[in-house]
Amino acid sequence: MNTPASVSPTPYAPKYTPKWLVGLTLAAAIGIPGAILGAILLLTPIVQPATLDAITREWLGQDPATWYWRPWLGAGMLALVAFVLVNFGAIFSGMCVWYERRVAGRMQSRIGPNRQGLGGFLVWIADAVKMLLKEDLVPADADALVFRSAPYFVLLGFALTLVVTPFGQSLIVADLNVGIMYITSITALVVVGVLLSGWASNSKWALFGGMRSAAQVISYEIPAGIAIFVPVLMAGTLSMQGIAAAQGGLPWEWFIFRNPAAFIAFFILFTAQLAESNRTPFDLPEAESELVAGYLSEFSGFRFALLMLAEYGNIWVLSVIGSILFLGGWQIPFVGNEVYANLRGTGVLPSAAWFGLQAVSMAVLVVKAAFLSNVIVWLRWTLPRIRVDQMMALSWKYLVPAAFGCFVVTLLWEIAAVEAPAISTITGYVLTAGALLLLVLFVRQIFRNIAAVQGDKLDLSNW
Amino acid sequence: MRQTPGEYFGNVGRTVTSFWHGLSVTLSYLLRRPVTTQYPDRTPLPVREMLPPRYRGFLEVDAGVCTGCQACERACPIGCIQINLEKDAANPKQRVVTQFDIDEAKCMFCGLCVEPCPTGAIQHTREFEAASRSVRNLVFRWADPANPFPVYKVDKNAEYYPRAPLGSLMRAKLEARDWAAAAPQFLPPEPPKPPAAKAPPKPAAPAAKPADSAAKPADSAAKPAPAADAVTAKVAEAAAPAPKPAPVPPAAAGAAEPTAPSSKPQA
Amino acid sequence: MEKLILRKVPNASEEMLLNFGPQHPSTHGVINFLVDTDGEVMKKAIPDVGYLHRSIEKIAEQVGYAGFMPYTDRVDYVAAMFANEGWAIAVEKLLKIEVPPRAQYLRAIAGELCRIASHLVSTGTMATDIGATTPLVHALREREALNDLIEALCGARLTYNYHRIGGVAFDLPEGWSDRVLRYLDHFETLLVEWDRLISYNHIYVKRLANVAVIPREMAVDYGLVGPNLRGSGMDWDVRRDVPYGAYPDFKFDVPVGRGFKGVSGDAFDRYYVRVLEMRESAKIVRQALEKIPDGEITAKVPRKIKPEPGEVLSRVESARGEMAYYVVSDGTEKPWRVRIRTGSYLAMGIIEDVSRGLMVADLVALIASLDVVAPEIDR
Repeated sequence: MNTPASVSPTPYAPKYTPKWLVGLTLAAAIGIPGAILGAILLLTPIVQPATLDAITREWLGQDPATWYWRPWLGAGMLALVAFVLVNFGAIFSGMCVWYERRVAGRMQSRIGPNRQGLGGFLVWIADAVKMLLKEDLVPADADALVFRSAPYFVLLGFALTLVVTPFGQSLIVADLNVGIMYITSITALVVVGVLLSGWASNSKWALFGGMRSAAQVISYEIPAGIAIFVPVLMAGTLSMQGIAAAQGGLPWEWFIFRNPAAFIAFFILFTAQLAESNRTPFDLPEAESELVAGYLSEFSGFRFALLMLAEYGNIWVLSVIGSILFLGGWQIPFVGNEVYANLRGTGVLPSAAWFGLQAVSMAVLVVKAAFLSNVIVWLRWTLPRIRVDQMMALSWKYLVPAAFGCFVVTLLWEIAAVEAPAISTITGYVLTAGALLLLVLFVRQIFRNIAAVQGDKLDLSNW
Repeated sequence: MRQTPGEYFGNVGRTVTSFWHGLSVTLSYLLRRPVTTQYPDRTPLPVREMLPPRYRGFLEVDAGVCTGCQACERACPIGCIQINLEKDAANPKQRVVTQFDIDEAKCMFCGLCVEPCPTGAIQHTREFEAASRSVRNLVFRWADPANPFPVYKVDKNAEYYPRAPLGSLMRAKLEARDWAAAAPQFLPPEPPKPPAAKAPPKPAAPAAKPADSAAKPADSAAKPAPAADAVTAKVAEAAAPAPKPAPVPPAAAGAAEPTAPSSKPQA
Repeated sequence: MEKLILRKVPNASEEMLLNFGPQHPSTHGVINFLVDTDGEVMKKAIPDVGYLHRSIEKIAEQVGYAGFMPYTDRVDYVAAMFANEGWAIAVEKLLKIEVPPRAQYLRAIAGELCRIASHLVSTGTMATDIGATTPLVHALREREALNDLIEALCGARLTYNYHRIGGVAFDLPEGWSDRVLRYLDHFETLLVEWDRLISYNHIYVKRLANVAVIPREMAVDYGLVGPNLRGSGMDWDVRRDVPYGAYPDFKFDVPVGRGFKGVSGDAFDRYYVRVLEMRESAKIVRQALEKIPDGEITAKVPRKIKPEPGEVLSRVESARGEMAYYVVSDGTEKPWRVRIRTGSYLAMGIIEDVSRGLMVADLVALIASLDVVAPEIDR
């Protein structure tokens, strides 16, 4: 049915998405993440100092210890990798925005974005372009220098963590031996940024948001930090890859199921990190219905885009940390740690099979992180917001004691596990079975929910 | 505040169960069909066909059965209907309707005009998609001043009145018009005369202008008053659409009163 | 008011004077609140109303009795049937005409459906103000279905203009009763799911229980009405205690807040009373559709409505409480004075006293639980 243009001013919209747009959407949906993940897959092993030395020695014929350009080569490669990683952050946060809006729509019985490409997938590109084109406004009485620089603190707090988050078995830019501690400390920069943006906006509402956020993040650093120690104790190292390597690929080899205290610590960590990244139910600093975007209210255009990027990017960091520390990270089932070393070969660059296996491990990690991101998005659209004093009570009265409890139990558990490793394996099987049972019950509950409302049925048309 | 251990663990337990319930309900909505549809292309029928028959959309007047009783004009609480009747030049016994304007921008779609109509000439249709670029283009003219229609003589024994199918006239009007048409322009105000040359313009003059322009039905209901002066514009608006003095400032009300009787010829 | 706005805050380094509104997603319309706060805890919050004043009462003096009916829709457009009903009852009292029983049943049916729609908006927006956006969209989805039903009945979805002096404008369409009954079956099961999603959610309960407690005596002193009054424990409902229309024929309970999750008179009580009232309204509609008598839908009313000089007060139980119309007639076709007393205007009075010592987040909960709509306050 074509509505004649003279009758109403709504633009003519086709009945079905035209084929070229479907093609463009699929190309974007597969191509953009594929390209960026591929770039990470290829670049991160190359940027390691040992590989760069080998390249300088073998391919360029120079002695890496004395060649003048060797540091420049390292710096150049790092700059390239930094560019790729920040782009990854931007692309992930864009796709997360699309996913969130789409999921939010479906959970609210409505279709989410649907006009920009098939399934509205291109909406994040449209949003990004729109934000770049908006007016760049600095309020008249705002502290101009601080106002302009505050979003960059927030962005730094997010982007610097990407350097130590692994993407696969060897796909990490810098496997610091204090990896997880580095992440915890760097994310504190976000607080600085939020406080600065709240203050510099010269608006009481923004100040409210900034103050609330500072209190929130600082209080939740503590249970997060203690909960992080549980897998650290179980693995014996602070390095991210080390913790992942200490787990196995199968669910009962993950840390979360090997220790009942780790099971609880996972939820403590998850909650505390939700609070640190200002996501519902802890989104007081930007509480829409009270402060109307709180500390972000005076920002527009690119600065706002940066703040949003950092917020959604933090979802990625949260999910990756959760996956690595508790859910087995990039471990592929039935593939042990020595397989990677065997496949590497002795050439300058690792063999293609090694890259293939790395790609598989990246896929495993991305799937787990995507699952956790999905849970974070899902929680946002389900739960109301808690009040400031309740948030403080939750942190200090519930999470901190529970985290300490888990810590102590893990200490004792590890001592016991040295004596009798069987308790870890048995707990692994039992807790995995328990988790599977819970999953089955949950799915059953979902179907019962649909049946309980008269007139509703399972209907996947218009997906 | 002190809490007993029961309360403490009760809080934890209640939180966990409410998470369970809340999360399962929202996830179950992913499996149900959304209730919204994209408009206008994916609706199964054009939306105006899916509306109930009593829907109060844009008004439509079938000039063929209009008796010129002006009951709708009197019933309208806002005063968005403007009807002018005159005696037919050729046949003095016959009255013709020279102006039947409905300002849909003012209409609040209450339906009070539809009820007193004896023949059902004025009805609410199911049209609502009549947006236009300029609000002045929302005045629908159901009578052509150059070609006025005769009033309908009600046949006392008739069982029904031969009214056009509901909505057909409005649809024809909407399809024929251009939604992006420019609005009727008003002339700019006369520049003030220099004080040495003449006396300042008399305030009676703008009030007199709507009188003679109201007497002869002009092209637009909102008379193209030559002054953009707010008062005279209000006078023009007030004199043309409604005899009601309510929305008019008191200064113009006085000016409207003498013009009102002259603008409404005897029915 | 200027003195309040321009005064210096005594402890300027610690206290701030904030403008909560008039453009704000949580103030349920354009209402401004002047909030004196030291960060989170408020000293007091003073409502500043008038942004939506449209002189509706003055317009009544210009448009006459019959023509004022569509304007009453706009007094409270979320629950417009009651405003229509109040005006119709007032003028019928002035004219001393009796409304036929079928019209009274139709008024009750339309009114109760409208009450459900209004409470859906009220509970949904309350959930959104507390942070959960999904329940609002679900509530609006249900309200859409109700809007469709009422659209089939009277032609409009928000400003109904359904009542007329002497009765109602339209009779039931074909098949409408079945549609309504099917919808009510669905709706009652949906309310169970709604409770699981949000009403019993622990975070939600903690936000609302024991917050902004209005004790019963204070509620009566300040003149609160409707669910606000019932939430504070006072058992008063105009439909049952000052019966009008067809309500004496129906059996329904009046939910009263006795501290469902906290103290009687807290925000959760006011919220939950509305959820329970939706169930009761569904019951009333079912009974009405079953027992509706045949007959005329409107009484004989003179063409020009010219009541004798006098004054009359009519009271209806609107979704927001008791709505009263005080009409003074001077014998002409247009009323001399119309005064509409609405529940939201009275609720504004209590905010200043209850808000002492509350947090800003609780102020949002208080305003939402009092279910104020700006058009009712300012008319």
